[in-house]
Amino acid sequence: MSNPRIPDPAPAPQPPPARPGDPPPTTFPTAGSAQPPVDTQPISADAKKWAWPEKPTLLGTRVKRVDGPNKVTGRAKYTFDINRPGMLFGKIARSPYAHARIAAIDLSQAEKAPGVKAVLAWKEVGAEVMFQGDPVAAVAADTDERAVDAMRLIRVRYEQLPHVISDAQATAPGAPVVFKGGNTTPGSTEETGSLSDGFKQAAHTIEANYSTHVITHCCMESHGSVCEWDGDKLTAWISTQAVHGSKQGFAQGLKIPEANVRTITEYMGGGFGSKVGPDAQGLICAQLAKLAKAPVKLMLDRKEEQLDSGNRPGASVRVKAGVTAEGKLTAWEGTSLGSGGAGAAAGFPLPYLYDFPNRKRTHTDVYINAGRQRAMRAPGHPQGCFLTEIMMDELADIVKMDPVAFRINNVPAVAANTMWAEYFTSGAKTFGWDKRHPTGDKTPGPIKTGMGVSAHRWGGGGRGAQVHCDITSDGGLVVKCGTQDIGTGTRTIVTMVAAETAGLPMSAIKAEIGDSRLPFAGASGGSTTCAGVSPAVRITVGKALDALFERVAPQLGVKADTLVASGGRVHVKGSPAKGFTWKEACKLVGTEPISVDGKWEPGLSAAGTCGVQFAEVEVDIETGIVRVKRVLAIQDCGLIVDRLTAESQVHGGVISSLSFALFEDRILDRNTGQMVNPNMEMYLLAGMSDIPQIDAVLVDSPEQRARGVIGIGEPPTVSTSAAIANAVRNAIGVPLRSLPLHPHKILAAMAQGKAAGTL
Amino acid sequence: MKAFAYVNPANEKDAVAALKFDGVAMPLAGGQDLLARMKDFIAEPDRIVNVKSALDGTIAPMPDGGLKIGAAVRMADLAENAAVRRLYPAVLEAAGEVGTPQIRNQGTVGGNLNQRPRCWYFRNEEFVCFKKGGNRCFAPTGENQYHAIFGNQGPSHIVHPSSLAVPFVAYGAKFRTFGPQGEREIPAAEFFTLPTLQNVKKENVLADDELLTHVILPAPGNVKSGHYEVRYKTSHDWPLAFATVVLAMQGATIRSARVVLGAVAPVPWRSEDAEQALVGHPIDEATAQAAGEAAVKAARPLSGNAYKIQIARTAVKRAVLQAGGFKTA
Amino acid sequence: MAPNDEHPDKSERGSAVSRRAFLKTAGVSSLAASVVGVEVGAQPAGPPMVGPGETAVHLMVNGKRVDLQIEPRVTLLNALRNHADITGNKRGCDRGACGACTMIVDGRAVYSCSTLAIEVQGKQVRTVDGLAVGNKLHPVQQAFYDHDALMCGFCTPGFIMASVALLEKHPTPTPTQLRKGLDGNICRCGTFKRIREAVASVKGVPHV
Repeated sequence: MSNPRIPDPAPAPQPPPARPGDPPPTTFPTAGSAQPPVDTQPISADAKKWAWPEKPTLLGTRVKRVDGPNKVTGRAKYTFDINRPGMLFGKIARSPYAHARIAAIDLSQAEKAPGVKAVLAWKEVGAEVMFQGDPVAAVAADTDERAVDAMRLIRVRYEQLPHVISDAQATAPGAPVVFKGGNTTPGSTEETGSLSDGFKQAAHTIEANYSTHVITHCCMESHGSVCEWDGDKLTAWISTQAVHGSKQGFAQGLKIPEANVRTITEYMGGGFGSKVGPDAQGLICAQLAKLAKAPVKLMLDRKEEQLDSGNRPGASVRVKAGVTAEGKLTAWEGTSLGSGGAGAAAGFPLPYLYDFPNRKRTHTDVYINAGRQRAMRAPGHPQGCFLTEIMMDELADIVKMDPVAFRINNVPAVAANTMWAEYFTSGAKTFGWDKRHPTGDKTPGPIKTGMGVSAHRWGGGGRGAQVHCDITSDGGLVVKCGTQDIGTGTRTIVTMVAAETAGLPMSAIKAEIGDSRLPFAGASGGSTTCAGVSPAVRITVGKALDALFERVAPQLGVKADTLVASGGRVHVKGSPAKGFTWKEACKLVGTEPISVDGKWEPGLSAAGTCGVQFAEVEVDIETGIVRVKRVLAIQDCGLIVDRLTAESQVHGGVISSLSFALFEDRILDRNTGQMVNPNMEMYLLAGMSDIPQIDAVLVDSPEQRARGVIGIGEPPTVSTSAAIANAVRNAIGVPLRSLPLHPHKILAAMAQGKAAGTL
Repeated sequence: MKAFAYVNPANEKDAVAALKFDGVAMPLAGGQDLLARMKDFIAEPDRIVNVKSALDGTIAPMPDGGLKIGAAVRMADLAENAAVRRLYPAVLEAAGEVGTPQIRNQGTVGGNLNQRPRCWYFRNEEFVCFKKGGNRCFAPTGENQYHAIFGNQGPSHIVHPSSLAVPFVAYGAKFRTFGPQGEREIPAAEFFTLPTLQNVKKENVLADDELLTHVILPAPGNVKSGHYEVRYKTSHDWPLAFATVVLAMQGATIRSARVVLGAVAPVPWRSEDAEQALVGHPIDEATAQAAGEAAVKAARPLSGNAYKIQIARTAVKRAVLQAGGFKTA
Repeated sequence: MAPNDEHPDKSERGSAVSRRAFLKTAGVSSLAASVVGVEVGAQPAGPPMVGPGETAVHLMVNGKRVDLQIEPRVTLLNALRNHADITGNKRGCDRGACGACTMIVDGRAVYSCSTLAIEVQGKQVRTVDGLAVGNKLHPVQQAFYDHDALMCGFCTPGFIMASVALLEKHPTPTPTQLRKGLDGNICRCGTFKRIREAVASVKGVPHV
């Protein structure tokens, strides 16, 4: 993950440079404290001509997913569902140890096992495995069950090496140096203003440690692919959020031309940032298929998924901050650590969002013997937000201000993408913030209630997406884009924008996505898909319509630029009667269809969203159990495309952040470095009974609509955890400075508060 | 999962015969625990004996006014049984809180009582602990936030996983077993075993070729009972600690008490201290508080689970209050 | 994953004395060596024993007979997905925790990943693939679609089957019945709110 505030760390010591199969470096935007830029690039004639309509018929309405029926009937075929004739099942043998050297690999027993068609060593003897779950060798057999049998017959002899699995272990005096060049890579120290001036201006200061934990993506559909060769050409059905990126990944990893690779992702079961390439398992699958001369399906099992498919890295900071008696922030000084796993950095924006005029941050990346981090839904932001927002409530109490008023006092100046002050005010009213009691619920009984608030921002701008549009004489309108639907509703968005542009019902549009043979589109990451694809579809369909108008205009005796497509007709603007039905117009296309390429261009999308969230909780102080009762999310996202799926994104962000705050935790045994909860039972995930009332308010003002489309997949997941933690503090009267909000921490905080006499 | 041979006997006798085997044979009831263990190579039977047809799947009244519950009764059915609701409400409540609807639809009474520990060291094959033939328990120096706070003399520090075991012990149930030597009736409290180096690979006295066939609950008499579970997640999760109390009343005064805690020890943990704190008192807040305090007096937590003492204390207190008909958090 | 090479002989009852002796005589340092071709021993008198190799298994799935030749160890989920190309229900965790595999067997929602195919012979198995009648969605499917109670859709088939089982039992569930009835399923995109609304909106399900 790159972070402008932290120079990329020196090439990670050991074992990178990246092996084939390692995920490509994440390039999702993770801006630092500075606001993401508003698009200021020049706007093309096409983009001007095909600007968003002032009175849309579909945009902003609630449109059901076009692939909803396929998904609810089970007819949607995910990668996991692909069954090919003669298909084998692949399985990977992985290191059981956190750190070891491979002394021997014996594949002979596996080769002889029933049903086995291919066996390969992925690592060489002498190589090191750097975390539990590091892939070592693999096998393909005729059934799922026999593949597991054979995998377990791969005999690997390991020489165990010392390991470190936490910041504390990696940085302890005398810690074993397990990464070449050291277990840490200090980032640069970054300073703005003058700390000493800042602290001089401060009437009060606070010094504390804040931290977040490691969670995993835990996609419902695990990572994996089905690989099938035809001579030297590979077809890979792959569960990915980057169809084109995966094609490139296969080509690079297998050292074959990109032209020889086709990747297909009709449907995929969640990615959240972790599925941007074939990874080791994809390349292994392709190699097994080549060796076996048969298609191979290789989907990770849940344990592999938990160990080696990415995680949201932990973050911590030791901070000192200053505030004036009037509640203006003056200074922030912090020393932060982040653990991205085995040789991976972990950046996060800090301090988050608020105006600290004088600040200095020193960041150190810590390497540990654990699975590597990958971008995860708003990478870096949930951590930076928590590390800052909890302190904000403590500071508000110090200066005896309401947390909302204190925040409004310290947000950056208002602009289209920095609307927090307004959202705090309107949200507080909607939420009933005036009923919030001061810190510590003084009512009798074990159940204490509390309210909390938090704010966030995100980029989410559009970027490179290419589209092809055909209009045929039978009235067909086909839109092709090599994007993919990670679950946000991309296929629906593509269809909607095309239908809106051509003035047709959605049923008249054929949208094709999820295939690398379609025009290039980037990964579904950084909340860039909707903002990338929507303008590209709009402009391309618009250009196709321009071509159609050229062919229709002579028949009407008018100039092409007087024509519009609306209401299922192609007609002279302002005179619906003067024209043709869509079908009649298309008949004029003739045998050579209209075939137009286009791409994303600036002008129809923007970057920079903001939002605030409020949470209400109940804390049982006799058990330490937290129950979230209500969450209100105020979120802007520019021009809303599909209101229904946009709202779903907000709900999903809130729920996943709640799960992060309360339950999820990758727990490694402190002695062996092995994960003790690599499943979905002891790795606790929020379920139905844990879900509060959720109210999503999408800001839909003329000013926001004028900005164009902005992605919304990530921003709503940033704030909830901090709002919940602040609500818990408001309920119990003592701060909780680390996640997750496990009952043992609640009870310990209460006990400390009592001992210190603050409760 | 290792390949296995499969047999589906129709009666207890054939089932026990099929379990007697040179290799490793295991009975399969609801399968909600065993199949997961097999997939994780924690259990590697050569033979699976499906006992769902062989074992009784009914709940029948006993002449003394008690109930006889077949081991093959599914949790979902137990949780909705009218006689259980009337006579043993704590059993009903415990059954209704086990796992998820899907687990309760498949899981059986026998399976719930005989399931293996949820300890994450036991459940992951990388950790070769006492229970898997190794020579150590990983919990005391490791991640022990969900481990025992009572009965921690070792060698193993698991908590017993069964939710039903606790109310069954509290109501004074007996377990009927059937094996090659015939049948046995074992008081529930004696069925479960604290670990020793000799028996650490099991959690109870059942032999490998023996089946638990019935739970026999005596007529409850004039008792009030309460059951309280503390869960981290409200949805599918295992309790952090829970308690069943069964109080025999004399007017408004507790004449005798049975207090049993779950998820705190390698066995359902009876607290005689708490029982003594209850006897002779009315059911009220002060009594409940005293029982909670007494229940945890002897707790000996591990390095990372002292917080469970407070949770166990609360579970006992609230179970007592529930028995008295008070509303609790 | 792979077995721990230091302790290959480590399962709960796998380290029985007889097994250790067998391995020592065979001079193999790995339990895994006995994974295949293990001797089952003489068949006892009594009911017939099948496996560990493939055996005939006959299922009734969505009202249609499915004849398979599979090992006894094959789960209902894998039997349908890998051997019958009935892929509507998904494999998420394969350990009875996520619910994506939820099917209805004789009227009850079960985790098909935690059920052996061989165990459900003679029972009626229903999967999400059999709910719709032609293009007419089942009321629960229609409600999920209408309420956008799905995102990536991978958990959806399991949630729908759990919801159908719930509503067949409680046609108008209380809020508590609704949430408890769906506590056995996980959605990672975070659709719970709309699933709750979708299921609550269903006005009756067909009698089965």
